[in-house]
This record gives sequence, C-alpha cells and structure tokens, in this order.
Amino acid sequence: MNRNIPSISKLNNLFLDKELKPSELFEQVYENASFTESILHAHLELFYDEGMENSKKSDERFLKGESIGKLDGIPIAIKDNINVYGYKTTCSSKMLSNYVSPYDATVIGMLKETGSTFTGKTNLDEFAMGSSTENSAYGPTKNPWNPDYVPGGSSGGSAAVVSAGSAVASLGSDTGGSIRQPASFCGVVGFKPTYGTVSRFGLIAFASSLDQIGPITNTVDDARIIFDNIQGYDPKDATSIKPKYTEPKNKKLKIGIIKELMQEGVSEDSQNEVNKVTQLLENNGHEVEETSLPLTEMALSVYYLIAPAECSANLSRFDGVRFGLREPASGSYEMMNKTRAVGFGEEVKKRILLGTYALSAGYFDEYYGRALKVRSKIISDFQKAFDDFDFLISPTTPSPAFRFGEKTENPLEMYLSDLCTIPANLAGLPAISIPTGLSDNNMPLSIQLMGKPCSDYSLLDLAESIEDMVSFNHLPKITKGDNES
Amino acid sequence: MTKDFNIDDISNLASIHLEENEKLKLQKDLEIVLEHVDALKNIDVKDEKIDIHPLSKILELREDESTPSLSHEDAMKNSPETKDGHFVVPPSIE
Repeated sequence: MNRNIPSISKLNNLFLDKELKPSELFEQVYENASFTESILHAHLELFYDEGMENSKKSDERFLKGESIGKLDGIPIAIKDNINVYGYKTTCSSKMLSNYVSPYDATVIGMLKETGSTFTGKTNLDEFAMGSSTENSAYGPTKNPWNPDYVPGGSSGGSAAVVSAGSAVASLGSDTGGSIRQPASFCGVVGFKPTYGTVSRFGLIAFASSLDQIGPITNTVDDARIIFDNIQGYDPKDATSIKPKYTEPKNKKLKIGIIKELMQEGVSEDSQNEVNKVTQLLENNGHEVEETSLPLTEMALSVYYLIAPAECSANLSRFDGVRFGLREPASGSYEMMNKTRAVGFGEEVKKRILLGTYALSAGYFDEYYGRALKVRSKIISDFQKAFDDFDFLISPTTPSPAFRFGEKTENPLEMYLSDLCTIPANLAGLPAISIPTGLSDNNMPLSIQLMGKPCSDYSLLDLAESIEDMVSFNHLPKITKGDNES
Repeated sequence: MTKDFNIDDISNLASIHLEENEKLKLQKDLEIVLEHVDALKNIDVKDEKIDIHPLSKILELREDESTPSLSHEDAMKNSPETKDGHFVVPPSIE
C-alpha cells in the first residue's frame, strides 16, 4: 500500500499536469481502505460506486480543462453524524442503525459543489460522546500507529482514515475536542473553526452551543483549503455567523503559554512538545510568555454540565416515533422507555441522565445556570488574554494515545483526556492541533494553538509556519503482520 | 449536592428504562461526576450574565416566506410505522 499521499495542492497540480487522474487516486485510496479496514475498522460504510463515478466526472473535467478548484477529485471521508443524502447516518448508535438521510448537510452540499468525492462514513463514539471510539455500537476503531491503542474520539474514524491513507482528508465534529484529540492521537492535523463559521445544519446535534464541524487532514494547508470551502453564513443554522476574519497587527507575534495546561495532570511528553515549539517560535523572532487563565481548571466541570444538559434536550427526539429504532410495546410511554433503553449505549444514557438532572426543577440554578455563568467568566478571561496575546499555545492532550480499556472504569479518567481542548469550545474559539513529535513508544505528540474568534486564517498561517519549523514527517507503520496477528 | 440524586426519578424523567445492574453502575459513575462538578460552587457568579451563544450573537428572525423543504413523503420515510401520511404510535391512554 502507498500511505504517502501528497497534499491537496500537490494532488491538484498532478491532476492539472495530467500525471495522475482523480479516478486513479480514488482507486489507490480505496485500495488503502480495503487493506486497512480489517485492522482499523475506521469506515462504517464505503461509497465505492458513487465515489468512482464522481472521480470519473472529475477526470473528464481535468481532461477538458474545466476543473472546478483544488478539491475537484479529492477523496474525503465523512464522520457518520453528518447527513449525506441517500446514505445511512447511524451516529454509531443502534438507535439510528437504519436511518437513511433524506437531505444533505450544508457542508456536504458545499463539498459536492467543489467536485470532491466521498470515500464513505467514518466511525465515532456513539452520538459523538467519548474520547476513544470505544463507545461506538459497531465496535472501536484502532489507532493506525499501533492497533493496541485508541485513535481518540469522538472523530476517531475520521482521524484514523487520514492517518492510514484511506482518505486524503475527512470531516469531523468537535464538541469538547472531538476533532483535535483524535487528530493528535493519530499524528494528523485537526482544526476546529470559530463557532458559527461552519454551518451545523445536517450535523446530528449533541450539544448545540459547542458542536462545530471541521477538517482533519495531513497538512495545515489541506485544512485551510477544506475550511475555505465549507465556511460561511447559513440561514438554516440559527447560530451561524457572518464572519469578519481578522489578522494580527504585527508580523512578530506574541504567543501565550497557558500555565494551567502545563502542570500536574499533563505528561512531561506533552509539555516538552510545547517547550520545543515555543523555542522554535522565539528563534524565529516571535515573543513567547507564560500566561494564567485560572478558570481553565473549571472548564471540565462546566463542560460536563452544559454538554449533557444540551444533549438531554437534543436526544429527546429519539422516541421511536418519527425515525430510528422502535421497540414493540402495548403503550406509547412504554414504547419510548424501551426504545431508548435498547437504542442508546451506556455513555449516552449516562450523559442524558446527568443532563436531565442538571436541568430538573430545583437543580437548574445550582447546576446548569451556574455552569453557564462560569462559562461567561471563562469567555471573559480569554477576551482579556487576547488583549495581550495574538495566540495561545498548549498541549492538545494531557498524554499521547492510551491503550484500549485503560480509561473505561472511571468516567473522569476518560473525560480528563479532553482537559486541554474543552476551553476553546466553551469560548467558541478557533483551535488547531498539529503533530510535532513522537513519544518513547512511538505514538504521536502534538501542540494546540488557539486564537481569538474569527482569527481562523491567521491561526492556520501560524500553524503552517510551525509545521514547517517542526517538519513532522513520520508515518504510521501498519503492516500485514498487524492484520494477521 | 448529590444526596437527592435518585436514579429511578431521573431515568423516569429521561424516559429511559434501566435494568437493576445498569442502575448501580450509572449511579456510581454519576456520583463521581457530580462530586467533580461540585467545584463550581466555589466560584463567585453573582452579577454574572449568561451567554447562550459563545460569541454573543443575537438571534435573527428570518423573513416570513415559504422556502423549499423536505417533502411530506421524504420526512416520513424513516418512521417505524406510518398510515395515510401519519405517524402511527401505540395507544397513549393506558
């Protein structure tokens, strides 16, 4: 297999120079998927026929000199909580095992306009709730760097397919780190744009004030190209914004290291990557300084009240009436109770129950209301930090990828793996994870950059310059031996 | 803060039937999480406002015009049971 897939810009040049056809690329990517799927279980469904048909249409456009743009003929995988017309959207849940989407998500419609092709739908933690894909009703995805390790989550399938070369890029969704954490674990780039810049219409909602669609890619430039083609105001999403993208005032940037994410609870490995990158930034003339955002330590608690509260409301639609599973029963109420008992997995039930409690009469102010107020304080803290700094830096994750089963006993252990990523969701900030090194056991390590709202393009520029400085050029070592063992 | 947490009441509110073995595990896990979020009690939130949108976007109303949307037929395609263009459910008066 050939894992070493060029960047989107290079592929576009190969197509333009007639050195490669989009259908040949699709065949190669599909071959990679066919080989790795038995090890990784990253795709839930592959779209070979339609993908090949669309690739051949791209072939014709390039032949006639009528190509649409950089994404024409590029194979992209889609997380299975984003609706693609005519295909299943299972959210890796038994509840939606037979649900076929009657419409395209806005981002899917936009990607179709670019001439890109879809490889298929990727595995996730059920309804995007989890950090390892161990919560998928269809079995976990394995990490391409070592199948004994989790790929992260919830967009674990989307990160694994890019890492393994089974797609050139993918779409994920990020509610508390679900793009950045798996990207970090799989050694690829994961970008969560500013909240509201990419439409959520057609993304099955988990926590609406936090959910954001974004790309997972091999390079920062690939992430920029995909973002460029999916961002923009959408009247179908009430939280969509009309972004006015900002640039930093000076070329020499001032970057803050978040002190609270560089202390106990974050591994030495992860901290070392930040120190390595900040040294490179200083060598390149940028100013780096430690800064404190004390309420960052409260972010996990705020998140685990707000996200479950919103999830309990959003998932009330799964009642066995209009779509999804229905368990037989003699009465409506019994039918709903049984359907939700059978259709939802343990983690989803846990979060619905937690959210129901946090919203219930007598506890609303104490839990949900208080969490919303602390969230406002966290947002204010970030606003103040961005008065002094252009960007903030931290590890993406407190540790590199962990082994299957390592964090399933105590829910807090798993939740803590999103410690560094949750703050950006609470404040609606753009944030990106880029791979920067390997741990002693050869698992990827990364750093995270955060910017002020709508600094997406300048954040990507900084990430790209770090990518150049670091030159992370390691690839996962999937061998046939893994398959046979 | 967790003394009033009753798994039977909450599962009833959430319309999820739980088996006895599930209740024990979920109760234990939820108590761990509720104990953790207790830390928020120590934050002074007096006079703090609430932002529903993280970027404080003011929600806009769209024009009152009809636009193309899913057909009736497409909207019902995923339903477990339909009849004459309606969703069918088991009796709701028991």
